[in-house]
Amino acid sequence: MAANDSILDPWRADALPANVRVGANTVIGGTYAFKRFRSKRELALVIGSHCTLDGTHFAVGEEGRVEIGDFCYLTNVVLLCEEALQIGNYVVIGWNATIADTDFHPLGAAERIADAVACSPLGKGQARPAILRRPVIIEDDVWIGPNATILKGVRIGAGAFVEAGALVTRDVPPGVRVVGNPAQVLEEGGSR
Amino acid sequence: MSAARTLAWDWYPGTIPENVVVDETAYVETTFSFALYRSRQPRGVVIGRGASTYLGTMFDAGPNARIRIGDYALIHGARLICDAEIEIGDYALISWNVVLMDTYRVPLNVAERRKELERVAQRRPRMFDGDVAAKPIRIGRNVWIGFDVCVLPGVTIGEGAVVGARSVVMEDVPAYAVVAGNPAQTIRMLERPGEAAP
Repeated sequence: MAANDSILDPWRADALPANVRVGANTVIGGTYAFKRFRSKRELALVIGSHCTLDGTHFAVGEEGRVEIGDFCYLTNVVLLCEEALQIGNYVVIGWNATIADTDFHPLGAAERIADAVACSPLGKGQARPAILRRPVIIEDDVWIGPNATILKGVRIGAGAFVEAGALVTRDVPPGVRVVGNPAQVLEEGGSR
Repeated sequence: MSAARTLAWDWYPGTIPENVVVDETAYVETTFSFALYRSRQPRGVVIGRGASTYLGTMFDAGPNARIRIGDYALIHGARLICDAEIEIGDYALISWNVVLMDTYRVPLNVAERRKELERVAQRRPRMFDGDVAAKPIRIGRNVWIGFDVCVLPGVTIGEGAVVGARSVVMEDVPAYAVVAGNPAQTIRMLERPGEAAP
């Protein structure tokens, strides 16, 4: 990986995981950015140029892959990725928003017991049951407010406006404003 | 408050900014709350008598921000995103991870937002310039706001109202209403106190 002089303290280029690629003039801040970054993909995190990722938390599982475009601005965002998160260009995501492409645990009761055991200190080496996961795609020019939550399999269309605190469980069409839990279209004209 | 405007009990090596007025009986847990503070108003933040702001409270205040925290108000970790005015009344109780935002910070129009994102990438520090129209937030006296609540630009919450946890408040809340939900709706009304608190 080429050295990258754009990274500010504490994540200098030499402190970044080897499978992370960061574009020019992109800044990553925050002590906990890569504390839970466990991806073994050859290229697990690709961030474009001119981005500001302040306090963003990359909790990326072994098979996870995150792509972020250019000119994005993320403030203390929690990215939970087991498969794929794709974030376009000019995307703004507000403080304490959460984006997850996984259910974390199986839905079925018996499978959840098996998962609890596999995750426990006594379950070393045991395989976990299958867990639902589906990529999240956030297209260009999307705005996501503080405390919002985006769940697995969601595609947020270009220019959409996700209100603060919204919980998004379904696709959002381009250019609309969604609010609420579950998030619903409030009015046309998110992009205006 | 010592002359150096540091806090004896602070873990963060910061200071209370000069244009912040903290009553001598108020408690500010940490100056980290001012790490994003950049108000240039004569009194950017005023913290009243017996008020307290705990860890997690962030004064994310732009150049024109004015924030007033009333007497005996208790802020247990709210993020105040302020480019105009946020007023928190006396005796207000505000829980953790609450967002009080009087602005969306970036233009709603996509083309203008792109320009602002291109400008911010060249700034040090990388802060939005507060040029977007902000609408003041007013939290009345004796209001209680539960955890993870968002209060959106322009909202007024009337005296004595209660906002349930995780609510998103998009419209004004009447005095002594209990609201909950996302978006928040009135679910009941409280009895008004016979006499004002001392």
